[in-house]
Amino acid sequence: MTDFSSALSVAASGMRSQAERITHVSENIANADTPGYRRKVVSFEPMRGFDQAQGMVQTGEVRLDRRELPRIYDPGHPMADETGHYPGSNVDMVVELSDAREAQRSYEANLRVFDQIRQMSSSLNDLLRR
Amino acid sequence: MDIRNSLAIAAYGQTGLRPQGQMLADPSSGQMQAGQIFANAVERFGATLAEGEAQSIAAMTTGADPHALVTALAQTELAVETAVTVRDRVVEAYQEILRMPV
Repeated sequence: MTDFSSALSVAASGMRSQAERITHVSENIANADTPGYRRKVVSFEPMRGFDQAQGMVQTGEVRLDRRELPRIYDPGHPMADETGHYPGSNVDMVVELSDAREAQRSYEANLRVFDQIRQMSSSLNDLLRR
Repeated sequence: MDIRNSLAIAAYGQTGLRPQGQMLADPSSGQMQAGQIFANAVERFGATLAEGEAQSIAAMTTGADPHALVTALAQTELAVETAVTVRDRVVEAYQEILRMPV
């Protein structure tokens, strides 16, 4: 049974990481029009620790995208400089939407794995019950 | 999930083993090992149930991570199913012995 329970933990760690990823994606989308906002990029790394099951995943440090901020022309804007430009956010909606979709797909894959493990363990128990 | 149930199981895991250990002390060491293995299994079972309850309480009161709750509940379900199945088999075998024509 330890195989099944560690596999369940690994699948749950994948789901947790994807949930955190979609949190950052939603922050990016919410701040798409915030002047000077840099989009947050989340990375995945293997979890390290003595009591953790092998092969679990966790999200690493959140980094900010270093791409240059677009300069938006709007002389009436309070943050506009002498040329009439102000720095916008470097969030690209298409990138964020595809990232959100990818997080959803990965989450579903982990969910399926979780369900599959449960089914496998219950069929093993059925075999024992016969 | 009733808390008292799993407390009883945990208590059983701790107390039910001592007489068994004493009983199995003199026969061969193989039986002793079997008793020890069973003791450890029951203790782990109690720990799994306690973990599931702790996660449920945390999720309902403090809004803890739902993934941890789902994992803990799935593991509890797995442990309970296994324990029930093994118990049924043991009882079945015992009844089979009782049905023996004397």
